[in-house]
Amino acid sequence: MQSESETVESAYHSSKNGDRLAAIRREMEYLNTIGKRFVAAIDRFQVHRALLAALQELYSFTACSILLKGEPFELSIIPRYPLNPPFIEQMLNRIARAARVIGFPNLTAEELAVAADLDAPDELSPAHSQALMIGTEVRDCLNIPLTVENRIIGMLSLFDERPETFATEQLQLTTMIADYAAVALENVRLREREMALWQQAELERRRLELIISSMAEGLLITNAKGAITAHSLNRSAQHLFVQAQVDLELTQETLLQQLAEISNASWLQELAQIVDQALAGKTVINHELIVGVSGENVPLTLSVSAAPLYDAGQMQTQPIGVVAVLNDITSTKQIEKLKDDFISVVSHELRTPLTSIKGYTQHLIRRIERRLREKRRVQQESGIPSGELAESYDLRSLNIVQGQAEHLERLVSDLLDLSRVQWGQLDLHYSTFYLADLLTECVRLAQASAEQHVISLDIQVKDSRIEADSQRISQVIGNILGNAVKYSPNGGQVIVRLAERQGDYLVSIIDHGIGVSPEYLDHIFERFYRVRNTASRPYSGIGLGLYVAKAIIERHGGNIWLARNNGPGSTFSFTLPHKPRTGPLNS
Amino acid sequence: MSQLSDSSSSVSREQIVEAYLKVFQLIDDRVTPLLGKVTTRVLVQGAASRVLDRYPFLHFLVKMPYTEVVPSVLDEQLRGVTTKELAAGLDMLLQECFAGLRELTGNLIVPPLHDEVTRQLEQLSS
Repeated sequence: MQSESETVESAYHSSKNGDRLAAIRREMEYLNTIGKRFVAAIDRFQVHRALLAALQELYSFTACSILLKGEPFELSIIPRYPLNPPFIEQMLNRIARAARVIGFPNLTAEELAVAADLDAPDELSPAHSQALMIGTEVRDCLNIPLTVENRIIGMLSLFDERPETFATEQLQLTTMIADYAAVALENVRLREREMALWQQAELERRRLELIISSMAEGLLITNAKGAITAHSLNRSAQHLFVQAQVDLELTQETLLQQLAEISNASWLQELAQIVDQALAGKTVINHELIVGVSGENVPLTLSVSAAPLYDAGQMQTQPIGVVAVLNDITSTKQIEKLKDDFISVVSHELRTPLTSIKGYTQHLIRRIERRLREKRRVQQESGIPSGELAESYDLRSLNIVQGQAEHLERLVSDLLDLSRVQWGQLDLHYSTFYLADLLTECVRLAQASAEQHVISLDIQVKDSRIEADSQRISQVIGNILGNAVKYSPNGGQVIVRLAERQGDYLVSIIDHGIGVSPEYLDHIFERFYRVRNTASRPYSGIGLGLYVAKAIIERHGGNIWLARNNGPGSTFSFTLPHKPRTGPLNS
Repeated sequence: MSQLSDSSSSVSREQIVEAYLKVFQLIDDRVTPLLGKVTTRVLVQGAASRVLDRYPFLHFLVKMPYTEVVPSVLDEQLRGVTTKELAAGLDMLLQECFAGLRELTGNLIVPPLHDEVTRQLEQLSS
């Protein structure tokens, strides 16, 4: 049995525990209520409102402020009623001092005054009369750092015009409220940043859309399988497809290959292959596609560049699609055709008078040579001392005319060949002959007009029988030998070597001249290309010989290239199969 | 609050280190429940950075949370510092902590804590 005193004591403890439980319940309900307010806050003004509401239940104070770290920092002052300027000044001083304590950069009250933003929610700031603006001095102040995940993001400050407003008993709860506010403010900040990023992304998207829709080039974007929809093409690309008579009424994703079959457009198959290459990770640049009917004078021609498209977050893995740019180069081709036609016509027109000039010059040379022989014979028979005859001067002049006419003829031939190569009309007439014999003849001819040079032949094959266009091969060798002599201005040795490599003949022409800089090696076979490192001395030529030479060798199924020697000079090499790998065009 | 720095000639270096570690533990015990762990740590780090000009040997406290400071760390960091200088530096650090705490919370925490710390240091120096 419990004694009376024990019963009283038990009742006392029970009552005390009950009070404590009730207090804890009240505190939890309070925290739950304010927590909900903070969670519901979607902007910083709502956070301020929730904060003020929560703090007002703990204290009666004049104003509070929120200082947030950042570049620039932000300061919001939330008054409960209108504040006197001296009071604000003291608030700012207190904020600046407390901020220094928790590691804010050195802020001054003046800087805070400039940045301060006054935020007084209407419903929490009932219109106070001027008489209430009595406080001119901060008599009590409490600063609680705002922390989120172990870092201080700012500081909550409370101010009152009366002393001893803030109590130790409420400090823990105030810190909890500050923690709620900190998380809510951080969420608002993240939301604002997200919104800003979204707006920026949207702006970029619109800008890109405008650029894509207004660009003159066609743009085609496929998916990872190489399929397109009607929306995969920009306006220019759609226009090109319409020009090419390809129906783009696609109801679902369609592979380019399928579209090619549906549309019976072979160029689409080629485009599908380009897309496949890009999907394999390769970038294709300026691949020409003839879209129009080949019978047309200049068919619709596209220059296609395609590149793999990677996911921004997963670079260097499988492409998620391909971006292809389609450039209509038909007008360029038309201009090129006009130019080539012009060159062809002019070359033909030049050839006729040139043939006459050459023929008549040859005729005159023979006549004068005969006359000269006759006069010398008469002089010898009559014992007249032989002097310089007027016919000798005439002969030299005519030889010069003939030499220049031949040079002009070569230029005209090159121009005609250019035109033929451009339009795939380079005629080859195959016959069987010995390549060694051809090289011997070419060397003999070149040596005849290269007194300063020694051109030697190095035949390393026993049998050099070949089926090729001897005239064209001779043209190639003559051209390369001419270059070897021209670009060895101080004379020297030129070696013409015939060897065998992987079942093909390999012809190498090695000179010891001025050589070619490495940056020009890739361009030397381009048409009208002239190497600029020879500018110290002007060399004649129009940059077509090697372009035509390349076309001739490739038409035979061989390869041609230029390499720098270890010492001075360079080596031109080309291979020729024993029998042509490609049939003669138009022959 | 300069009992230890005043009587440093009669107190060993180890005693000083031990005394101040206990004091900072006391501050941690009293302030952390009210203002939180982060604020308490930043308070001490801020105080350390303010006394750095005068006591550069306390630089390690600017980077390292004081809760991770153990006697072996102090021994290593304070090698070559005289006992008197050490006591003066730690005392000034303590005063700066109180000054900072007063800036934040006025007289809500500092007066009772100050008394408690003074008593503890007096016990150690006696």
